[in-house]
Amino acid sequence: MSTAEGREPPADRPERDTRPPTSAVLVSLVAAAVATAAGTVAAPLGGAVVGMSVVGVAAGSTLGSSRVLLWAAAAGVVGIALAAALGGGAEPLLVAAVALAVAWDVADHGVLLGRQVGRAARTRRNVAVHAATTLLVGTLSAAVVYGSYVAASGGQPIAALALLLFGGVVLLSAFR
Amino acid sequence: MTASGDGSQTTGAGAAGGDTAAVDDGGSTDADDPTERRALEAFDTDRWVGIVGVALAFVGVGVVLRHPGTVLVGATGVGFALYARLGDAGEARLAVTRRLSDRTPDPGEAVTVTLRARNVGDASRFDLRIVDGVPPGLEVVDGPARVATALRPGASVTVSYTVRASRGDHEWETIRAVTRDPAGARERITELETPTRLTCTPELAAGGDLPLRGLTTVSHGRVSTDMGGSGVEFFATREYRRGDPLKRVDWNRRARTGELATLELREERAATVVLLIDAREAAYVASRPDADTAVEASVEAAGQAFTALLANGDRVGIATVGPRDCWLPPGAGTDHAVRGRDTLATDPALAPTPADGTFYGSLWFRRFRRRLPGDAQVLLFSPLVDRYPTSLARRIDAYGHLVTVLSPDVTVTASSPGAGDGDSGGRASDDAGATPAAGTTSAGTTSAGTTPSGPRGAGSVTQGGRVVALERRERIRDLRTAGLRAIEWGDRSFPVAVANANGRWSR
Repeated sequence: MSTAEGREPPADRPERDTRPPTSAVLVSLVAAAVATAAGTVAAPLGGAVVGMSVVGVAAGSTLGSSRVLLWAAAAGVVGIALAAALGGGAEPLLVAAVALAVAWDVADHGVLLGRQVGRAARTRRNVAVHAATTLLVGTLSAAVVYGSYVAASGGQPIAALALLLFGGVVLLSAFR
Repeated sequence: MTASGDGSQTTGAGAAGGDTAAVDDGGSTDADDPTERRALEAFDTDRWVGIVGVALAFVGVGVVLRHPGTVLVGATGVGFALYARLGDAGEARLAVTRRLSDRTPDPGEAVTVTLRARNVGDASRFDLRIVDGVPPGLEVVDGPARVATALRPGASVTVSYTVRASRGDHEWETIRAVTRDPAGARERITELETPTRLTCTPELAAGGDLPLRGLTTVSHGRVSTDMGGSGVEFFATREYRRGDPLKRVDWNRRARTGELATLELREERAATVVLLIDAREAAYVASRPDADTAVEASVEAAGQAFTALLANGDRVGIATVGPRDCWLPPGAGTDHAVRGRDTLATDPALAPTPADGTFYGSLWFRRFRRRLPGDAQVLLFSPLVDRYPTSLARRIDAYGHLVTVLSPDVTVTASSPGAGDGDSGGRASDDAGATPAAGTTSAGTTSAGTTPSGPRGAGSVTQGGRVVALERRERIRDLRTAGLRAIEWGDRSFPVAVANANGRWSR
């Protein structure tokens, strides 16, 4: 970072290390690995596709490209859908979905952090708070969904659950 | 990470300065009043766009396939979508203080800057990035002047970094604080104003004797003139005229021939000199990306010339060629010396980075000529990497002012051992004819756009650098052909170059 800086001033100092902070990369890679593992438990083929998202997250973080990260997330979504289609259990699928969301979110957050403040700046607290809130929201959301599924699945058709969800979405769009 | 105590680093050496700095910061040291700020509109970052679509697709497919797992995954996605919709990026209500370890450092000194931001708003800021507005003329040598964190109400973050002081008056620009909501779906930029000033005034090094050209004011001084009169050096004899002082009568001649003759001595007069520094954008060039610019070298040399001339009793003024106006009328005395020092050190026209605005050559010249005293001579400091200074020198010369061009050579890298800038005078023409780059030349000119960053040496000579060096040499030759004096200095220090030139110029 503090190598010979050019006196090419003012707008932005090009010598800054604009790669995403290491902590963000690590967290997102771990989350992606968890998603892969959960996907493999659900259905090995689906897990393999989710595993592509690990590579994608690593590549996107290295290149500092949100677009690559988006492709990685898309690969993960496809993998989860595949695992579900192959008859994976609900629990590992939920874990994989939350972990994938955390992986993409933290990696994407890290890319922008890298662009705005750089790798050398202190960012650990920021990354930790961001990762924690995302994980919390994901876990809460999955827990609520799973809880209502377990409670309501006493012979209720899935369509009822879907209708419930639809109501939720309508409520949601009324928010803004 | 978020050091909430007051233990910001006020280094031992600058303890006194740090304390005063704390007082100077508009009284907002630890107070709860937020720093003056301007919040821009919050906007969507569109990060989570599409999540609702994906979630609903999962739900739909799950319903059709009668597969609960898929529906549950979709439902979780809806949870994320809800999360992204909740909350907004509030403006950063921060109380910011900035401390410098030294407010008036010497050039090149490292100054530790400690920025402390405290969240004085009511809400937590889950995602806060702060980018300090380091003045463009200062170089951050240690640690980025940026931080990303999360702040509860009342919590604070401290970031400290080190800048290397450079000549000039530097004012910190606005701090940009970027806030986001926890999901990162909304973002807002807040600009915070905490004015801090760093003034770096170099001591003017006493230069050697600066050769001036033959001259013309009525005040007595040290510049020899081609006029007979009172002085110390023999100039001529002439017929005795009534009223000539008896002690100047050539009595030997009277004894020899019987005629009365009067000795004339060479008159010495004070000069009026204007140091004209080229500070157009084109003059902000350096031999390497990390080297000092030609303007910096010019200012340093002008400082030496200023002290030397003033010490010799000449009247010295300062002017710049550039978009910003800078004019210190010629004067003498201690006050003037201080004014000159301040002008060279802190005038915005001579800032370490190019001034904004467009330079209108003809307007500038008209104004300059109106100000320039009729008997003044001009020392023009310019790197001569474009055509304008040459024509300017000739134009000033055409208006009857004596012009000396002093040119820092930015086409010479420091690693050209012994190559020097071959031409001190007589050898100039030979050198220019032979090899354009006597040694390694690399012109890091903005126009050529060369950035020799690798190991310097013969290998790093760019074609553009060669061309610039050659053109510059030609310009100096043109100047000399036109009868203007030109000194250039590169590796050698300015006084050495002047001393060499001194030996070779006859008055």
